[in-house]
Amino acid sequence: MGVSEILARYAVQRAHVLVVEVPGCWSLRVALERQVLSRGWQLAESPADADVLVVCGQPGPELGELVDRVWDQLPGPRVRLGLPRIEALDGALDAIQAGLVDTANHRADARQRPATPGMDHGDMDHGDMAPHGIPLAGGGEDRDGLEMDVLHLPLGPVLRHWPAGLVLRCALQGDVVVGAQASILDGGHVATRATAAKDDARGGTNAWLCDQVCAVLSLAGWPDGAASARRVRDALIDDGSGEATRPALERLRREVFGSRLLRWSLRGVGNVAAQGRGSRELPEGVVGDVHDRLVRMLDRALAGQLATPVTVPALLDHPAALVGALPDLVTGLDLAAVRLLVASLALDTTPTREQVAHG
Amino acid sequence: MTTVAAGWAIGAAFLLGALTLFAAGLDGYATARLEGSARRGAAGPLFEGARLMRQRARMTVSADALLWRIGSAGLVVTALMMVTVVPLGRWTIFDVGVGVVWFNAMDVVVWALVWLVGWGPNSAHSLVGGYRFLAHGLAYELPLMFALVAPAIAAESLRVGDVAAAQQGLWFVVWMPIAFLVYCVGVVAFAVWGPFAPALGADLAGGVGAELAGPDRLLFLAGRYALLAAGAAFAVPMFLGGGAGPVLPAWLWAVLKTVALLAGFVLLRRRLPALRPDLFMEVGWLVLLPAALVQDLLVAVIAIWRR
Repeated sequence: MGVSEILARYAVQRAHVLVVEVPGCWSLRVALERQVLSRGWQLAESPADADVLVVCGQPGPELGELVDRVWDQLPGPRVRLGLPRIEALDGALDAIQAGLVDTANHRADARQRPATPGMDHGDMDHGDMAPHGIPLAGGGEDRDGLEMDVLHLPLGPVLRHWPAGLVLRCALQGDVVVGAQASILDGGHVATRATAAKDDARGGTNAWLCDQVCAVLSLAGWPDGAASARRVRDALIDDGSGEATRPALERLRREVFGSRLLRWSLRGVGNVAAQGRGSRELPEGVVGDVHDRLVRMLDRALAGQLATPVTVPALLDHPAALVGALPDLVTGLDLAAVRLLVASLALDTTPTREQVAHG
Repeated sequence: MTTVAAGWAIGAAFLLGALTLFAAGLDGYATARLEGSARRGAAGPLFEGARLMRQRARMTVSADALLWRIGSAGLVVTALMMVTVVPLGRWTIFDVGVGVVWFNAMDVVVWALVWLVGWGPNSAHSLVGGYRFLAHGLAYELPLMFALVAPAIAAESLRVGDVAAAQQGLWFVVWMPIAFLVYCVGVVAFAVWGPFAPALGADLAGGVGAELAGPDRLLFLAGRYALLAAGAAFAVPMFLGGGAGPVLPAWLWAVLKTVALLAGFVLLRRRLPALRPDLFMEVGWLVLLPAALVQDLLVAVIAIWRR
């Protein structure tokens, strides 16, 4: 056995997987993530960090094109897989593993790719204003009225701890967002719903809430807290209807609520006032800072886990409506606050039944 | 203190490498336990190393390749430079009269290196990560410097061996605990570790490391563990009595103390939420810096009174 085979065999023990979630395919993404982690593999944070690209669901044309561009950024050896339905998950990781150790195939793949990346623009006439095809940053007045470069940075859709299909096109000065546009890729329409588990089961909704809690805690840089939230989420998925998971959920709430450092670090971040800017009426469930919304999510999950569920006002009646309010909410915040704010809003980008029917 | 032949530097490098592997293995084990896949957690870093060795080197559009690589490879080199002045029992490689200042100079080099890793790839996420590290640096560096001053005042020497020798009977950590704590905060911070990892934050898709792949990423990750190990090793002669201890030989005590402190640093990582740079700035300037200065004053008064 040659050195490269030995290296390959060791390397696949710790493959890093970049997951793309199509709106509406939440439970498929979570099922994949659980399999990835239980195998000792990792979830990649960026294309550079990934060996494997997995698309959960059937992407529309806009998302499909972006996934192709992300695929170009994987360093290689790389493997790509589409999971249109949850049934496709069986044996998928074994197939990925087999693909990853196929060294000859990866050599051929590497030979086809250019050694240095280029911007794919078609016309090569960049001129001085666009070195290597990247236009120079424009200027603009910053918060203090001084001239400062403006950089355009899209957040999403291929980003961990981010609502599926959401794209937030930010204009940045330093790391402060000075303007933004929000949209859901492919108009929020998907051809098929991968699963509808979340709508059907009470435990499903609560598991979804715990997943949002996990996202907020991950973004707050608290690995222990995020791992607790993930464990509770998984328990809710496996045993959603029973009361057995209630103590675990209570423990999670105590842990989150009891961490003074977390409270201190999230205090006042991403504050949403009751009366939104531009006299836009925002739902009561989102008012407050990130910590308020975090605790509210856990309270809501706890209430839903009672034998006789008490009615708790939904965080959002019309999640899609809040996407329209995002640009106002994020303007003036730095990137860290924007990420925490968006995660704490628990945006559900799943297309509603009416949208699917009309689409 | 005996200065050993230059060839022993290779031995020191191996020792630092072993400590680095220990730190990475312990972190892998702790992480795997939490993620419910305790299977082969401690071997994780070896698999990760194999993976990154097998991966293609990666370049981004308009990258500053030279500075990027200097940054990612430089952390390991800096950690090696740090341990040259750390005595192992009664042996030392580099018995310089200003060893404490040398260590401090090396930890300032880390500023440049981490920032260069953020600057190199011409990527917005990486660059924001780089600036986050500098913002942390502004808050932790001065307290760290003044924390290092306290043992030097008490020992009336900047030579690391003299500082260790001055603790016969009473370790400095006992009567200058604040300086020790501030020093530990500094070490965790310059290794971009635990609560000081917003520069590598998940909210920036990996921040400084967002575009790193292949051997460059391996060197960068190893460099962080090596810095943590070097910081723990340097604390032993400065605060923990050097090789002092019963029964076992001095060099073994020095290693054991280093391992214990390093394990503490590693296991701390997952427990605390990140300290955002803007919040930590207040802590650094309004709490840590005054505390370190008061500590220095107390140590100076005691040092004069004892003469």
